[in-house]
Amino acid sequence: MKLFSKENPWRSLRLPVIALALILVILVLGGQKNFGTVQYAQFILDGLRGGAIYAMIAMGFVIVYNVTGVINFAQGAFVMLGAMLAVTFYEIEMPLPIALRLILSVILSIGVTTIIGLLVERLTIHPARFSSPLTLIIITVGVFISLQGIALLVWGPNAHIYPSFTTLGMADKVFRVNGVVIKAQGFWIWGVTALVLLLLAFFFEKTLLGKAMRACAINRRAARLVGIRFDRMSMLAFGMASALGALGGIIVAPLLRPSFDIGLNLGLKGFVAAIIGGLVSPLGAVLGGLLLGLLENVTAGVTKSGMRDIYAFTLLILTLLFRPHGLLGAQKTAVESGEESQP
Amino acid sequence: MNSKISKLLGMMVVFTLALASCAPKTPAPKVGETYKIGFAPAITGGGASLGDPEHQTGKMLAEQLNASGGVTGPDGVMHPVEIVIYDTESNPDASVSAVRKMIEEDKVQIVVAGTTSGVSMAIVPIATEAEVPYISMASAGAIVKDPATSEVRKWVFKTAQDNYASAKWQAEYITAMGWTSVCHIYQNSGYGNDTFKQAGVAFGEAGITIAYSAAYESAATEFPELAEIGTSGCEAVVVGAIPPASSTVSVAIREQYPDMPIIHGHGTCNQDHIDLMSAEVAEGMVSPCGKVMVGATLPDSDPQKAVVMQYADDYAAFTGKPVNTFGGHGWDALMLAVNALTSLPDGLDLQAQRAAIRDHLEGSVKGWPGISGVYNLSPEDHFSLDYKSLVFVKVEDGKWVYYPPESWK
Repeated sequence: MKLFSKENPWRSLRLPVIALALILVILVLGGQKNFGTVQYAQFILDGLRGGAIYAMIAMGFVIVYNVTGVINFAQGAFVMLGAMLAVTFYEIEMPLPIALRLILSVILSIGVTTIIGLLVERLTIHPARFSSPLTLIIITVGVFISLQGIALLVWGPNAHIYPSFTTLGMADKVFRVNGVVIKAQGFWIWGVTALVLLLLAFFFEKTLLGKAMRACAINRRAARLVGIRFDRMSMLAFGMASALGALGGIIVAPLLRPSFDIGLNLGLKGFVAAIIGGLVSPLGAVLGGLLLGLLENVTAGVTKSGMRDIYAFTLLILTLLFRPHGLLGAQKTAVESGEESQP
Repeated sequence: MNSKISKLLGMMVVFTLALASCAPKTPAPKVGETYKIGFAPAITGGGASLGDPEHQTGKMLAEQLNASGGVTGPDGVMHPVEIVIYDTESNPDASVSAVRKMIEEDKVQIVVAGTTSGVSMAIVPIATEAEVPYISMASAGAIVKDPATSEVRKWVFKTAQDNYASAKWQAEYITAMGWTSVCHIYQNSGYGNDTFKQAGVAFGEAGITIAYSAAYESAATEFPELAEIGTSGCEAVVVGAIPPASSTVSVAIREQYPDMPIIHGHGTCNQDHIDLMSAEVAEGMVSPCGKVMVGATLPDSDPQKAVVMQYADDYAAFTGKPVNTFGGHGWDALMLAVNALTSLPDGLDLQAQRAAIRDHLEGSVKGWPGISGVYNLSPEDHFSLDYKSLVFVKVEDGKWVYYPPESWK
């Protein structure tokens, strides 16, 4: 990682200077609207909550990209399926306490979405595995559109409801600390994201299977030479990504009103977060997600919030222009070229 | 096997013949050509939550027309009516080609189409050029009246109140409550932006200041724009959005400002809006809505009560879901079309029929009670419902109830 390059001192100063300037602009704009600590604290908390969702989705992008070299745009559809399936299973009348129905709907939804993810890999990515990454990416876009179309047929155009995990009702428990409002669902989102990050770190660092997946990411040919079955790893990656997407969709479901079309927006934001994080590790994805959520919420808060998406995608373009390897990515990813990626 | 089927068929034929010969021999009315109504709501796409009840209403009316055999003209000739259904996909391109198809291939007598204003505006020139009467189910005033020339569009009618009507009710309520400064939070969509524009006009006329306004994204889960509600010092929040976006933002406002009054527009008038934020959160929120939302609680003297109650019952029986205003816009548009068809004498050619329908709509619809209001169409006004055709409603125990001005204080 060459953050401090010797040739050009401006390069090392660039990020802190941009960050400082941004904070200054935000404070000036917020000052005009009489914002105090309460408002900023609210922006930051809400931003980190939204960011954790993006992080969850971004981790799915990263896992698939690392193993297969494909940006899986169907990730957004997995998020939508997770939320919609959870709603569907939850709505089934069962003589069980609500909490149990909720837990059951979470498990079933993740299970079914994972199966769909595996099927997607087998039926669309696997047959085209010798095509160029561009072809595969286009296939995933097609998969996204098909899944969304099927969802419209199955669930219709209406929005649905999913209860908050704490109160098991539509109105969430709200904590008020000195005028700052914190939704209980936020703690669930942060908690689940942190837990998933820890589990993934353990999986990739400590288990043989995880190491095999990382080996595919570092050098696919070498991995095959030592006997790692690449197509199994590809399937596993899609399975994990769809499960993570579903989980992301489920924990955010109480905050929005899930409908067949929530996948596009969430999927694209997750993609932006993954790019910002550098597309290398779950940790990068989480940092990228939190940063994206934070920045878009604070900038939208001090300016016009109708422009939230513009800020998010401006951030994507700036990242690609000035730091294409992202926050945690190496300067050059050598994955595709088959070379050693560490400098 | 084969012989078994032919035996069965033979028996059926004999049985039918026997039945037919038993039927009383009244002279059947003369049956004329089948009339066709081209019907295109937004079955899919962004307007689908509004287009779906319109679609259901269309299917329900088609069934009713089928059962009654059709419409009878002034000369006693019976004409079956077919409702040809297309999907606008909430997309102007798809709508234009669907409407062209209706006019040229299906040879419909009249077009009823367009759930959203953008789509309806795209259909206007097609219908005008082909000289086919066209009824839109969308709200924008520009659909029936060219905003540049103030000229009434000859072939175009509509059945949904615009956002100015809604804003006018809101202004009356705000004034009655003694508030002078409000915040306006609206969805970043065609509808949301128009609610803000019309609120600017109507609130300005009533001397109400909009202390702060902001648009938000429909799919948002965080609402940073709400921070300024607290610092701007407004006394109530007006929300311009349709479900589900209207519900998510209302929950967020309630959480941050538990005592802030919330006023919605007439785009929220369905049960979804309440269900998507829970009865508990929605309690006490007010909005102008079509009368159909509160049919049972209307006074008996209301000229629309009978038709509104009938439609609500029929709709609930047909779909199993509670009625809403959007289906009502569809019902009005289709029934205006059906009634116009009854004015046609037998034997006109298609172009003459289309012209006669247009003339009937413009000249003969006087005091006609529909779901959205009592229509008085005229050459100067192809919509004719003013803001009083809406009623003010309030959420109580998870249901919309009638909330007339007398009970505001």
